[in-house]
Amino acid sequence: MKSIIIAFAATLLLVACGKTKKPDEQAFLNSLDSAKKGPTIDEAVINSILEQIPSPLEISVLLKESGTKYNYSLLNSPDNLSKYNSNFKKAINLGVYGTDLGYTNIYQQNKDGIKYLASIKSLANELNIGQFFDIETIGRLATNSKNLDSLLLITTQNFNSINHYLQTQGRANLSVLLLTGGWLEAMQITCQVASKNPKSKELREKIGEQKIILEQIVLLFGFYKEDENMASLLKDLTDLKTAFDKIKITYTYKESSMEVVNGVAVIKDNSTTTIDITDADVQNISSITNSIRTKIAN
Amino acid sequence: MKKIISSVFLLSLIALSTPLASQCNSENFANACIPKLATGFNFLKSYKVDGEGGSKEKVEYSYVFTKGTQYMINLCSNGAATDGIVVTLFDSGRNKVATSKINGQFISAIAYPCNATGIYYIQYTFDGGGGKCGGSALGFKR
Repeated sequence: MKSIIIAFAATLLLVACGKTKKPDEQAFLNSLDSAKKGPTIDEAVINSILEQIPSPLEISVLLKESGTKYNYSLLNSPDNLSKYNSNFKKAINLGVYGTDLGYTNIYQQNKDGIKYLASIKSLANELNIGQFFDIETIGRLATNSKNLDSLLLITTQNFNSINHYLQTQGRANLSVLLLTGGWLEAMQITCQVASKNPKSKELREKIGEQKIILEQIVLLFGFYKEDENMASLLKDLTDLKTAFDKIKITYTYKESSMEVVNGVAVIKDNSTTTIDITDADVQNISSITNSIRTKIAN
Repeated sequence: MKKIISSVFLLSLIALSTPLASQCNSENFANACIPKLATGFNFLKSYKVDGEGGSKEKVEYSYVFTKGTQYMINLCSNGAATDGIVVTLFDSGRNKVATSKINGQFISAIAYPCNATGIYYIQYTFDGGGGKCGGSALGFKR
């Protein structure tokens, strides 16, 4: 009888322990300055929109593949770190630096990459999400250009883990900021490069197609209008969206065909999009993007 | 009294063991899929594919694919081929763009050179019934 009661109590204790928050999770929750929980919103809806946002790495790869030279001056200086005193600024600039790190990695500028790593680790620690950033492994990989694939993989995984963690902790607002910061920085880099290559149709179209992503970001910010900082950024993003509204994206669906090659189903996409964007549109979008980016990075 | 306590204890054990019996470690499958992306593809996302013991008919994610970029989606699961897990790609208008089930054959990877920028839905279904467990990875190259 006594042993049954002890076993039962032990079982209950184990179950209860499993549901207790880890100390670092608790510290994270306590640390947020905008710790007011987000509005009553369906987190699943927010998470499903967040997961659509493409990786800024895609743009860095495009720039490198199109022959654009590496330009450190396009990036946000890692020394600006000390300016970021609120969690709003920390989260959004963590995203900015994430894009900058991806850019330096793609161009194999490891010396610069390490500076961004240090700033990223610092911001992540201050937001109590530093445990997801394995700086030692990344730093080691960054010292050898042969490790580029592993370096890109591990940094992408780390950022994915941070976003996933924030979303499961009910702090998707920080995840929104992180992804928005990353997107804005990629936009800013693309616009700067496009201004130096005004004849590049590919870059113009790359800017134009960001309309689809901005619409999703504006949708996300709409959930957080109660937050003063996010409401202010939403106003700027809405101005940017107005500039994008002039761009016409025409999608034409045509059934695709497929063939199996070496065990892979290779698709032939017969659908198309055409993007109508003028030089004036590019200039207007670049100017607004630059102004928002200056505001968040300073 | 002894019988009541024993019954409660047994019921507790059953309740605790049920989720373990149907546990699907889709995260492991998703992680295992990442290195299986073909050479030259950069990793973007890993996706858990859990049919939750048959209670889910499909698992769906979405992503913005861009023109001029080639994407690869692969599948990992227990057993032979894809264990009946099928990945199908739909465009924003829900038109079918690609599937990993071709002529009754289950293919473990799709290569999609995107020609039209937009939101795409990556849908996983379970051929031959639900309850399947697996993972998937998405990569890109220019």
